[in-house]
Amino acid sequence: MSDANQTSLHVAVAGNPNVGKTSLFNLLTHSRYKVGNYPGITVETREGQLRVGPPEGKPITLIDLPGTYSLTPTAEDEAVAFRALTGADGQPRPDAVLLVLDASNLARNLYLTLQIVELGLPCVVVLNMVDLAEQAGVPVDVDALAKALGLPVVPTVARTGVGIEQAAALLRTLGQPTQRAMGGSGGSGGSEIEARVASDPARARWLLAAAEADALELTGASPSERAALVELGPPVIRKAVREQIIARYTEVDRLLAGVIPAERGPRPIWAPAMVVSAKIDRVLTHRILGPVVFLAVMALVFQSLFSWADPLIGLIESAIGWLADLTRSTLGEGAFTDLLTEGVIAGVGNVVVFVPQIALLFLFVGLLEDSGYMARAAFLVDRLMARIGLNGKAFVPLLSGYACAIPAIMGTRTISGFKDRLVTILMIPFMSCSARLPVYTLVIGALFAANERVVGPFTQGGLLLLGMYMLSTFGALGMGAIYKRTLLRSPTPPLVLELPPYRLPRLRDTARHVWDRTADFLRDAGTIILAVTVVLWGLLSYPKVDPETLPAGETAIEHSIAGKLGKAIEPVLTPIGQDWRIGIGLIGSFAAREVLVSTLGLVYGIESDVDDDDTPLREVIRTAKTPEGTPRYGKASGLALMVFFVFACQCMSTLAVVKRETQSWRWPLFMLVSMTVIAYVAALLTFWLAKAFGL
Amino acid sequence: MAFQLGKSLAELEIGQRAIVKDVEGEGRMAVRLLEMGFVPGVEVALIKRAPFGDPLELRLRGYHVSLRRAEARAIRVEVQTEVQA
Repeated sequence: MSDANQTSLHVAVAGNPNVGKTSLFNLLTHSRYKVGNYPGITVETREGQLRVGPPEGKPITLIDLPGTYSLTPTAEDEAVAFRALTGADGQPRPDAVLLVLDASNLARNLYLTLQIVELGLPCVVVLNMVDLAEQAGVPVDVDALAKALGLPVVPTVARTGVGIEQAAALLRTLGQPTQRAMGGSGGSGGSEIEARVASDPARARWLLAAAEADALELTGASPSERAALVELGPPVIRKAVREQIIARYTEVDRLLAGVIPAERGPRPIWAPAMVVSAKIDRVLTHRILGPVVFLAVMALVFQSLFSWADPLIGLIESAIGWLADLTRSTLGEGAFTDLLTEGVIAGVGNVVVFVPQIALLFLFVGLLEDSGYMARAAFLVDRLMARIGLNGKAFVPLLSGYACAIPAIMGTRTISGFKDRLVTILMIPFMSCSARLPVYTLVIGALFAANERVVGPFTQGGLLLLGMYMLSTFGALGMGAIYKRTLLRSPTPPLVLELPPYRLPRLRDTARHVWDRTADFLRDAGTIILAVTVVLWGLLSYPKVDPETLPAGETAIEHSIAGKLGKAIEPVLTPIGQDWRIGIGLIGSFAAREVLVSTLGLVYGIESDVDDDDTPLREVIRTAKTPEGTPRYGKASGLALMVFFVFACQCMSTLAVVKRETQSWRWPLFMLVSMTVIAYVAALLTFWLAKAFGL
Repeated sequence: MAFQLGKSLAELEIGQRAIVKDVEGEGRMAVRLLEMGFVPGVEVALIKRAPFGDPLELRLRGYHVSLRRAEARAIRVEVQTEVQA
């Protein structure tokens, strides 16, 4: 199995979700690992050296597999786990497996154990959360379990670090020459049906289950294996798969007799490990209180993204400004200085400015996930999400989209099923993010009587703003429903959702997760954002003209490439009530939507920033006249522009993150084109309707 | 103990226990339900329903799992009415 020349032993870490596998991996590797990505998909695996205990024997590399309930490829995670365990995709087959089990929930955890034992790899079992099992009144007889499984078993409590040294020591014995294969109880010979599919019974069983689950495309099955499955036919496959699953559970129940005490007397209806959680759930999933608490939690997340991130964002912006000023004063004026300050430094700013929101969202999501509340949130909103055809897990990312699409799109990783994840990713940029707000305020302030009361306390400005948010919400939900039924057609994902016991999150793991996600963003999406910022700066600044030599009323920006582009696209903009000046703004706002404000400022020769008061710009826009003397922008133009911003994907950072998350340029391109078309058509309709109503 | 035949898991009342008889249907969903432990002979109990009546919270083996009613309908059970001594 292990190559004689191999310098390090590879040990795969496998286990169900919610068993503390990540904590254990972090403890064993001292949180020093590299995050790897499988080609083409976004299932992550992490790899790190065993760093606990004296370094005897060969070094040991731990590979953390995705947490799964089974190896049957009903989703990518399971396929990745199986392929990693069997050495597909050109990776070496692991030398051993470290199985992490939840001591309080063995009756389900052992199913995966048996599947892995069947692969014939040496296994070491870590029985985690033994303290909770004991508290729940279901203590595990560790020796009896080890004997029943024929595998070494170490009891641990990953939260406090109990048993970690013993686990590490056991792993190190794997490197010793006395090591024997420990695969035992489950490695039975294949049946006649299995033999017809593949020579390796474990692979045959896997392929049969995959065929029954309509997931052969995830297995990389060979043509001859496929042919064998076709020949068997669905009824035979179905019967074989049922028998294999039932046989494993029969074996689980047999193994557990004598390992955990039998339940006696009047039993509570809850699982032993859920007695405390069930009490908490009397409030958290209560018919009325449940949704109330849920709304409060979401309000907290939302509030933090909107306002708690603000001071940090302000700080980053001033730091970037300070750095730009410093560079300018050190290097003096010049083309190179401009490139550095307005291109590179501004680009770095455009990247770093997302960090507070990303970090905050992942902090909250991590805490909600690790505490067990996220499963309850999905339980509470599933009914609503099922109407679109998604499951409850899509809710938090969608909501986060109101603050910023970047962290929201990164947050879709909890959604299993690539199509469902993609639908959610495509919906998110329709949610009206905070960067659209300055655009709405500018337009409303310039072209509408923002403070005029309409009904009761509601002003024209407030109602218009509400209208834009409603349009964006219905747009997102509607587009989601459409994608789900057409382009990304797939059945509403079934909900088979474990409601794990509530647990205190291990903060170090959460912090590490936040850091991993943020670093990932800076590295992958950040590079694209930086590059595009520099390109956009070039388009808006070159060719350079001396403002002194220009006729009155003309600004340098309209002679730039972007300026010429803006003029070139004017024929397309006229039908939606815009002119070339807005065209330049649209090009500039691709860096970030709110940049529309400062770009328009440049077009009109007003130095202004988003954070500054935009009153002078509003004034100019309001009073601007065409050569014929009519107002250049009317209410219809304003409405059309706002509607365009509701639907358009005016954000290169969103596209960069979608590229990162889908591992291809196909979907960001689709997003850009489809959203621009939708935005244009919506703006066109708005302009016509507004004109028809005499605005 | 008295037994009642021919119900689906979706028809259980809150607090009621039942024994799984069969998982109907085919394909991915049936495989998943079986692999999560809904195999014939196992005991399940309905803990609660979500605020809008769906999904359900069930106890199965050593854990709690949530299924929609649509999926629970595929699981045939024999209701186990516990006669309290």
